[in-house]
Amino acid sequence: MSWRHNPGLVGGLIAIIIFAALGLTSLWWTPYPIQAISVADRFQPLGPEHWLGTDHLGRDLLSMVMHGILTSLLVAASGVVIGIGVGVPMGLAAVAWGGWVEWLVLRLSDLAFAFPALIVAILIATLHGPGELNAIIAIGIFNIPVFARVARGGALAIATQDYVAAARLAGLGNAAIAARHLLPNIASLIIVQGTIQLSLGILAEAALSYVGIGTQAPETSLGLMLRDVQGVFLIHPWLSVLPGLTIVFLVIALNIAGDGLRDAIDPRLRRQGMNHGAG
Amino acid sequence: MALVEIENLSISFGGRPAVRGLSLNIERGDRFGIIGESGSGKSLTALAITGLLPETAKVSGQVRFDGAPLPSNEREMARLRGKHIGMVFQEPMTALNPLMTIGDQIGEAGTLADIATDIDGLLQEVGLLPPHGARFPHELSGGQRQRAMIAMALASQPELMIADEPTSALDAITQRKVLDLIGDICERRRMTLIFISHDIRAVAALCTKVAVMRAGEIVEQGSINAVLQSPKAEYTQLLLAASRMERRPRSAQAREALLTVDAVSRDYGHGGFWLWRQKPVRAVDRVSFSLGRGESVALVGPSGCGKSTLARMIVGLDSATEGQFRLDGTLYHGRDLPPLLRAGVSLVFQDPFSSFDPRMTVGTSLGEPLRLLGQMTREERERRLVEAIASVGLDPVMLSRYAHEFSGGQRQRLAIARAMVTKPRLLVLDEPVSALDVSVRGDVLNLLARLQEEHGLTYLIISHDLDMVAAMADRVLVMEAGRIIEQGRPNDLFARPQHELTRALMAARLPDVV
Repeated sequence: MSWRHNPGLVGGLIAIIIFAALGLTSLWWTPYPIQAISVADRFQPLGPEHWLGTDHLGRDLLSMVMHGILTSLLVAASGVVIGIGVGVPMGLAAVAWGGWVEWLVLRLSDLAFAFPALIVAILIATLHGPGELNAIIAIGIFNIPVFARVARGGALAIATQDYVAAARLAGLGNAAIAARHLLPNIASLIIVQGTIQLSLGILAEAALSYVGIGTQAPETSLGLMLRDVQGVFLIHPWLSVLPGLTIVFLVIALNIAGDGLRDAIDPRLRRQGMNHGAG
Repeated sequence: MALVEIENLSISFGGRPAVRGLSLNIERGDRFGIIGESGSGKSLTALAITGLLPETAKVSGQVRFDGAPLPSNEREMARLRGKHIGMVFQEPMTALNPLMTIGDQIGEAGTLADIATDIDGLLQEVGLLPPHGARFPHELSGGQRQRAMIAMALASQPELMIADEPTSALDAITQRKVLDLIGDICERRRMTLIFISHDIRAVAALCTKVAVMRAGEIVEQGSINAVLQSPKAEYTQLLLAASRMERRPRSAQAREALLTVDAVSRDYGHGGFWLWRQKPVRAVDRVSFSLGRGESVALVGPSGCGKSTLARMIVGLDSATEGQFRLDGTLYHGRDLPPLLRAGVSLVFQDPFSSFDPRMTVGTSLGEPLRLLGQMTREERERRLVEAIASVGLDPVMLSRYAHEFSGGQRQRLAIARAMVTKPRLLVLDEPVSALDVSVRGDVLNLLARLQEEHGLTYLIISHDLDMVAAMADRVLVMEAGRIIEQGRPNDLFARPQHELTRALMAARLPDVV
């Protein structure tokens, strides 16, 4: 697969790398410290001093967006890691063992599906107080059944192949078959689903912070920025347009890259012309 | 004037030629066979005649139907297809719409050609009954679906029918019936037929003219008798030689039993809950037989008769509901086959394309069964792999490659190498050559015969190909609906078949060419 044949993947990846670089830079350097409140400088317009202006507390918006991107990506990515780490083994176990294991996995994921991320987050926030970590856990729990289903669906198709029967004949146990044969063959599905869940996770993090049970000040995230300025939306629309647009571009970039990735690694779409009716 | 004229047709995909400089004339009333291996471009040629090539294909040359070049306008092309060309595909299940009844689909084909369709008449013509028209595709058997496909193709009263491997998804008995049906219909309607197949005997039984294709080119064409009697091209001679199976001389002394199957049954539960549970289906019904050391026994029967289920139990992939197996004095019921005995039994799968993990090197796949023999040093392991791959006539360098780099025949050799790596005594061969091109079948069978001689192997061959069975087996077991209904030495059994099914299988054999 040459890069030229897949402009979506290239464009999306470049955009994500730029976003990630902006976010990572904020760990070491931002134009202004994000906690630096200076009421005298509030509502500054875009200019050489503050490139993207300042908010109602005089904080530098560019600094806040940079840090917000980092928070969003970090929370969403941790959620995906939890989802893959727990969900994929569940899905593989369901296929490799079958029977009551499969029943249990399916019912557990039904149960997890029944609770939206928001409800889980509210529950966790009630028990342990709001915060970034709780947002990660809530999004992670929401991701588990998604990955369990994707892994099970992919593995079901693989499990009927003769090479899995051959592995059983060779004396491999269920766990070894899941690790050696099922997992490598569904890896591409998992990666593609991962990019989709990443963009959903960014939206979920923004939503959780917006309702006030995600990231808390003095830390910042894109959703929290929207929440902070909703009172002055009509007078200073730029303050909410900026984080809003950032979320939109981040999600679009992830979706485009995800689509490109699927085209690049899904063998069913690859070289379709040649496979059709070659005989 | 010829009905179909193809002049200098070339088709390529992304710079890779699939058909090169092909010229053909198909006269009205011809029954024209196109023979070739998979990938030889025979299906693409048919698609070019119907204008159904995928959009990524680059086409040059000209196709004329009834003297006029094919219209470039898609709408007119569709009208031409609807009115003048009928098509029958390989896999009827995917070619029929699962949500429409057979009758509606036949009627639709007629409506598109502006012809008032006598659906019942068409159904009868293809050997179905009027009630079949009200059924959905999944309610019919494979053979009936293919008949329905043919009725659909006939609904528009076409001048040309194109049949692309119409019988390769069917079992032997149905295959013969469908071929005879196609022949009768062409005769009666004076229809032109293009019949695409890799089976030279099916073509010989049905066609009047033939073209032999290889790697996108026609290597030979002419009337069927001329080509079969005195083939000029080397490739045609090779194909003809491969279609004849030489019988191997077999000794018939009584042997000590290696495997005994003792009244084995297998039931499959059919869903439902507790009191509402449906009666289980019995796939294998109290089967008993034994295999002698070094013997080669064939298990023959139509699809769905339980022969594959029996094989899966013998190798330990499934467990018997009742009864037991005895291998070398050890009792087992299926999955409880102990590892060391497991190493003594191997299975070669039917489809060489799905029996290797695409993400593993061939060497890793081949080495997998070695774990049955316990810990092994690296050198020992390496030595066993090289020995196994060399014994099937392949180069040890290939161990580091991936399965997709090999052809079907090579993959089946690799599958045999994997089965041989633990040095088993019993090899279960599930349709070992039916997924392979005719030209490589002979090679694989020769390989199996040589391995048996060298290693004193016992074979259990599962097949519905009686010619292959006659060539390979010392003894034949005929199975129907889970039971063994007849057994004997192949010559005796085929000369005097006692049971109706055996007779039907015999009658379905395609005549030998020449």
